[in-house]
Amino acid sequence: MRIDCVVNGEPRRADDVWAGESLLHVLRERLGLPGAKNACEQGECGSCTVYLDGKPVCACLVPAGQARGREVVTVEGLGDGDLHPVQRAFIAAGAVQCGFCTPGLIVAVHDLLARTPSPAEEEIREALAGNLCRCTGYEKILTAVRLAAGREHES
Amino acid sequence: MSGAARTVSVNRVDGRLKVTGAARYAADQPVERLAHGYLLLSTIARGTVRAMDVTAAESSPGVLAVYTPFRSLALLGSGTPFSVGHSWLPLQDAEVRYHGQAIGLVVAETFEQARDAAALVRADYEVRPAAVSFTDGIPTATDPGPFMGEPARLEFLADGVGSIDEALAASEVTVAGTYQQPGKHHSAMEPHACVAAWQDGALTLYTGTQSASLTVGTMAAALGVEAAKIRVVSPHVGGGFGNKIATWAHPLLAAAAARTLGRPVKVVLTREQTFTITGNRSAVRQTVRLGARRDGTLVAVKHQVWASQSASGGIFESSAHTTSRYLYRTENLHLDQKIVTLDVSPPTWMRAPGQESGSFALETALDELAAELRLDPVELRLRNDATVYPGRNVPWSSKHLAECYRVGAQRFGWARRNPAPGAVLRGEWLVGMGMATANYPGERFPASVNVRFRPDGDVSVSSATADLGTGMWTVLAVLGAEALGLPVARIRSDLGDSTLAANLGAFGSGATASTGPAVAVAAEAAITALITLAVTDERSPLHEVPAADVRYDRGELVTSDRRIGFPELLRTVSSPGVEATGTAGPGPEHGQHAFTSFGAHFCEVRVNRWTGEPRLSRMTTVVDGGAIINAKTARSQIVGGVIFGIGQALLEGATVEPQTGRIANGNFADYLLPVNADIPPIDVHFLDHPDLLFNPLGARGIGELGTVGVAAAIGNAVYNATGRRIRDLPITLDKLLD
Repeated sequence: MRIDCVVNGEPRRADDVWAGESLLHVLRERLGLPGAKNACEQGECGSCTVYLDGKPVCACLVPAGQARGREVVTVEGLGDGDLHPVQRAFIAAGAVQCGFCTPGLIVAVHDLLARTPSPAEEEIREALAGNLCRCTGYEKILTAVRLAAGREHES
Repeated sequence: MSGAARTVSVNRVDGRLKVTGAARYAADQPVERLAHGYLLLSTIARGTVRAMDVTAAESSPGVLAVYTPFRSLALLGSGTPFSVGHSWLPLQDAEVRYHGQAIGLVVAETFEQARDAAALVRADYEVRPAAVSFTDGIPTATDPGPFMGEPARLEFLADGVGSIDEALAASEVTVAGTYQQPGKHHSAMEPHACVAAWQDGALTLYTGTQSASLTVGTMAAALGVEAAKIRVVSPHVGGGFGNKIATWAHPLLAAAAARTLGRPVKVVLTREQTFTITGNRSAVRQTVRLGARRDGTLVAVKHQVWASQSASGGIFESSAHTTSRYLYRTENLHLDQKIVTLDVSPPTWMRAPGQESGSFALETALDELAAELRLDPVELRLRNDATVYPGRNVPWSSKHLAECYRVGAQRFGWARRNPAPGAVLRGEWLVGMGMATANYPGERFPASVNVRFRPDGDVSVSSATADLGTGMWTVLAVLGAEALGLPVARIRSDLGDSTLAANLGAFGSGATASTGPAVAVAAEAAITALITLAVTDERSPLHEVPAADVRYDRGELVTSDRRIGFPELLRTVSSPGVEATGTAGPGPEHGQHAFTSFGAHFCEVRVNRWTGEPRLSRMTTVVDGGAIINAKTARSQIVGGVIFGIGQALLEGATVEPQTGRIANGNFADYLLPVNADIPPIDVHFLDHPDLLFNPLGARGIGELGTVGVAAAIGNAVYNATGRRIRDLPITLDKLLD
């Protein structure tokens, strides 16, 4: 099938997509956007998190056909030329190690702060409950969220 | 040579690539005309594949080829645990050695087509009985032969003592315990992946690896190609933890298929496939018997280990030889390692291999002894602190373990611990405190680094090492900046490419300790080359100035009356750059000392009195790792190590189905990893004692140390909270219920 959708603000098209392909697969293999990662293929780890019509989803669990006529934003589309405050906060806090879970976490935190500009500790933990990280121990990721929240207040 | 490395705290230089999604991991490499491979796995544990029906798969849309043992891709030689992770090469025979072994490869235009076609392949097996139960296999355990340079059964007895059992029997106080833990899986977030592309008889292999150079050797041997014709590229690795040292089956098959098909082939393992294709940590049973005097002095230590091994070979857990071997002073020491060989997937190195399990047994036994003696667990350890390496009679180059205990106890508030088990109740939670020791050897191997002054004003610092999230991109930049007197922003580090300066890679917590010293050597050589160019090139303003009159100062060449920056010099003489490669390695001093990083963990747990749920409340870890290069990335390494220990203590374990040998929980829904709610605040403190006998930086490794001892500290705290001694990991709530 053919899929027309808007990805990171640009109209994109993928042809000959098999009905069983995931949105993640189409983004990574057909549209040249490997930022979202495939780590578990069962919605457990959150590494593939992207926005679909403004809502964060595990792209590995979304059939690509569902993206037809809709808007997708991936980690590649968040920066707007320069780094987004969430991205800057991850670097500054040391919340990045191997980096494989990072793109999904960036999108999840971006979403959290868009909804809740100054989240409580429990809200942060809850919002990131669907994101696994094997390197950092999460603590610095939580620090990055607080840092980004503080910065967003200032701006 | 200058003194120890200065500790800095800088952001990861690869951070920007990683937060924007621009970092290219193995599966992210854009390659034209790519075909996709999908591995077929065995569904029995032991037997022979009689036949495989591939007719439907071959006529499935997009399928280019289906390879099986009967229509194979030729690979040469055989495997080893160090090269491909096991003793055989995939698809070269029809034997099935464990459940989930590679028995075929489907290649198609897309990944989905390959996976779809793979589901259509039917394998007909001659099934043979398989031994897959670790517990049932204990009576069949065998001696693995010498390893780590020592016999599997190692004994030191005091004069006049006939046997370890005699020493134990004569001890004033003894404790004994049997400790168990299931097999475990590294579960790096990046599943193993590779892209193999041939051009003019030369292979470029993109694969996430801890060692590009070992991968080259393995691929060259199996493919029958000169090593010089193989380039392994691995700039970013999504976690390794020991699981990306061996090459495993997928790159071998991808490269062979790509050569046959005349197209690049990508193979990405599914998460489920990583559980059996790429190795694990042995299941382990241990018995520790300690004999002591009333004052706590250890007299006898007997540590017996049974570790699972695969009939395919592998790297088994060497629990006693990595812990009890040298951690405490004792007159009588007896270590005995056995392996239980099973029809299961091969074990391999996994973060703190040996120490992870060994410290759980030994450090729990110490806590049991402390309880028996009514002695503080810290005091007991202080009384038995080893000052020379037992049996070798050499001192440690730098050992500050006692300070780790003291500083840790102070920071944590250990003095507030109530030694009586089950005595502290807060609301519905029983609260307890525990501690344990961490140890990991200082590993160092020869490594080379290239430093290149570039006309654009930057300096490249490169080596064929790896960054698994460990911070090596940044370490190269920081040390390059330090050696050259330039800001970090002007250093361009490069790594993860086998064509760069020779380096074995990242393992054994030895990457920084090995590669770091070579940066200074290379920088010095590059400066000499720069000065030579400046005084010999006719176009240079310093032409014919005696080299001895020119000195390098923070990017500039300086004489008594002139000063010229290297970018200007290079442009003036039309040079594309000046470079030099420097090598550093351990010297003869390495026979005269023992090199070990130490640490101490303190933790507080709470156990729900009604549900038995164990929760970790807080943790303090003090590290004696020598000089710390970058405080930011170093702290991350220790915390990450601690998290591995938390997983070991409370969550992780593979469940092998006894009838089939299948790993029942081989996916991320069922193999439990720590999530953010499992992780409490972790206080990490580094003692700053550079180990200049070890290397000029004074830095030993810290990547694995953090894991060692965590499970024991948690178990000991659970005992303090509840009075229950859990010797069977993970400590789950069912074990804490009445």
